[in-house]
Amino acid sequence: MGVLEVKQLTKRFKDFEAVKKVSFSVQKGESFGLLGPNGAGKTTTIQMITGLFPPSSGSIEIAGIDMVRQPKRGQGLLGIVPQEIALYQTMSARENLSFWGRMYGLSGDHLQKRINDVLEIIGLADRAKEKVETFSGGMKRRVNIGAAILHNPELLIMDEPTVGIDPQSRSHILETVKKLNGEGMTVIYTSHYMEEVEYLCEKIGIMDQGEFIASGTISQLRETIGDRSRIVMNFSGAVELERIKSILTSEISEKDLLMNHNELAIFHKEPQKILSELIQSVTGAGFEIASVEIVEPNLESVFLHLTGRSLRD
Amino acid sequence: MGFWWLALKDALLMGRDRKALLTLVFMPILLIGILGAAFGNMMGEEEVASIEKFQVGIVNLDEGELGNALAEEVFMKGLPELISAEAMTQKELEDRLKQQKLSVGIILPRDFSDHIIMGGESEVKVISIPSASIQSSIVENVVLQFTQSAAVNVIAMEAAGPSEMIKAIPAMSQFTDADINIVEEAAVERDQKPVGSFQYYAAGMGVMFLLMTVITGVSAMIDEKEQDVYNRLLVTKLTDFHYLIGKFIGLLFMSSIQFLIIIIGTRYLYDVRWGESMTGVILLGFSFVFSVCGLGVLLGTLVKTEKTFNAAGMLATQIMAAVGGSMVPLYIFPDWVNTVVKVLPNALALQTFLELMSGANLWQVLIEAGILVAIGLGSLLIAFVSLSAKRRAYYA
Ligand SMILES: Nc1ncnc2c1ncn2[C@@H]1O[C@H](COP(=O)(O)OP(=O)(O)O)[C@@H](O)[C@H]1O
Ligand SMILES: [Mg+2]
Repeated sequence: MGVLEVKQLTKRFKDFEAVKKVSFSVQKGESFGLLGPNGAGKTTTIQMITGLFPPSSGSIEIAGIDMVRQPKRGQGLLGIVPQEIALYQTMSARENLSFWGRMYGLSGDHLQKRINDVLEIIGLADRAKEKVETFSGGMKRRVNIGAAILHNPELLIMDEPTVGIDPQSRSHILETVKKLNGEGMTVIYTSHYMEEVEYLCEKIGIMDQGEFIASGTISQLRETIGDRSRIVMNFSGAVELERIKSILTSEISEKDLLMNHNELAIFHKEPQKILSELIQSVTGAGFEIASVEIVEPNLESVFLHLTGRSLRD
Repeated sequence: MGFWWLALKDALLMGRDRKALLTLVFMPILLIGILGAAFGNMMGEEEVASIEKFQVGIVNLDEGELGNALAEEVFMKGLPELISAEAMTQKELEDRLKQQKLSVGIILPRDFSDHIIMGGESEVKVISIPSASIQSSIVENVVLQFTQSAAVNVIAMEAAGPSEMIKAIPAMSQFTDADINIVEEAAVERDQKPVGSFQYYAAGMGVMFLLMTVITGVSAMIDEKEQDVYNRLLVTKLTDFHYLIGKFIGLLFMSSIQFLIIIIGTRYLYDVRWGESMTGVILLGFSFVFSVCGLGVLLGTLVKTEKTFNAAGMLATQIMAAVGGSMVPLYIFPDWVNTVVKVLPNALALQTFLELMSGANLWQVLIEAGILVAIGLGSLLIAFVSLSAKRRAYYA
């Protein structure tokens, strides 16, 4: 049985549906990625799973516990890293960890030991006595994570834990999560950064406008675009992409040609083979190409192919 | 148990908030001291020396009456033992501060009175030399207290109409003008000890400050609800019930400390006699604190945003304090009014403190203490029911 079973999860805010019939399950020891652009409904989904508020309809089970009916029973099993930094700014890192550990029922020597362990894990042992308000964004994020893993949760749920921080802190966090997962902790990780999810997660659900538009392992998801690469062309000057598109439809089928802002994306199995031909047709028609790039099959391509938009939009 | 740690955390956060701490510990003693000074020779010279006297320069640009009231009645006449105040021009003030001849200076703006009367914040500048941060905090707090009381009085005046004006003098100057003899007369009955005006105001101010402390705690509670930590707290193992109990204990802890400081401070600094029965005083004090903390937690549960709360809360406190007898002696109201206001915990507590001061013993205040505790428990219960009803409706 899965650690987490989500079925037909729906959330309506007044007349706006933020999450629409989302279903997925996460097995013990797995790392599950929730990938989607801002506003896709990731946080809302996470908040329902953690029992912050109930869904409008649908069911959530964590280790067999009904989170809609008995959220308090399940919450002890969860480690939750909220999207925002949820710490007491005027308390030190150690004091914060100590407080949150106690909110999960830890105490005494065991708590002290866990605090020391966690300070090592998040790399802040030497700054433990300093107030959180004096920390950099990256350090705050690390304490934010530390507060969620003190009690060795069955399931660690992280909502965009790397937003707005320096690359060094970011890679430290990614490695930490990878390690925790390697040691057997089940992880749910939401992000709008494709690279993070590709690096960390075995299974991925792609969300857009409240819906799961695809899910599966990375290779399964690549299959949905036929494992094809993507040729990305940029043009100098203002151009009518519609016209370029019509020029190319003789060579490429229309559904594999996508426009996004000033870019043209062309999906193809063997991009090297057709590249020179494509460039010739486009320049021949009088357009000036500013850059061409070939992108290996990735989740960005999957998202683009499914929605016609890029993840960062 | 999680709730203990929640309470401890709240106390810790309040302890680190310098402004809150000052209001909590120092202001009550100071204000009662101001009153004492205003009432004349109630304090021996030596005792006063423990709070060091300092110099304040006042630049009063105000075109209305209230600036004068603050400068002359409060700063110059009201606190002779603590502050020596002097009026001067802005230029003089700057020079003297530069030469370190003054510790603190304040500048009252042209529209100081207008702002208080019309509502809105007036910008009073408090300038101090670096070594005088405590002194400048004291001055800031005095100004704050004055503007709040004055604002309340202005509202009261408007509500009462022009004929009531004379009665509603701004609270601060009314402390200094109040007539000591009448207070004594009013409290004296046969077989009872007279309650001096200093005693009266020690109890009155003490009760008012406890209300204000609870309001400060409650706005911290509401403020926390708007922060990200609150959502995190909700998804830990902490239950709704433990959350409320934790909040309650935190409030109770802080206000009990303040209560003890007020009792001990006034007893030893100003020789205030709270009554024969110390057990009675402690019991009544804790019952009062218990009731307002319960009410506070209830408020904190029901109110959604801090913005609306803070202004309304402070106003309500001042009004409660005013009708409860903390500002104007209760004797000026008819008896039936004094009976009616006993529905307010602060009025009930103040009147019972006065009974203790005039010789009542523990047994004679048990009923009042019981009522206060019941108010506290009742409020907690309502808070819990409403919180879990909200949850249930949510999860239905
Ligand atoms: N409390 C709320 N009331 C109304 N709309 C909301 C509320 N919370 C989120 N939304 C809306 O739901 C959508 C999904 O938001 P969210 O779950 O935060 O997305 P994500 O985390 O993927 O960026 C957004 O359009 C957001 O504006
Ligand atoms: Mg989000």
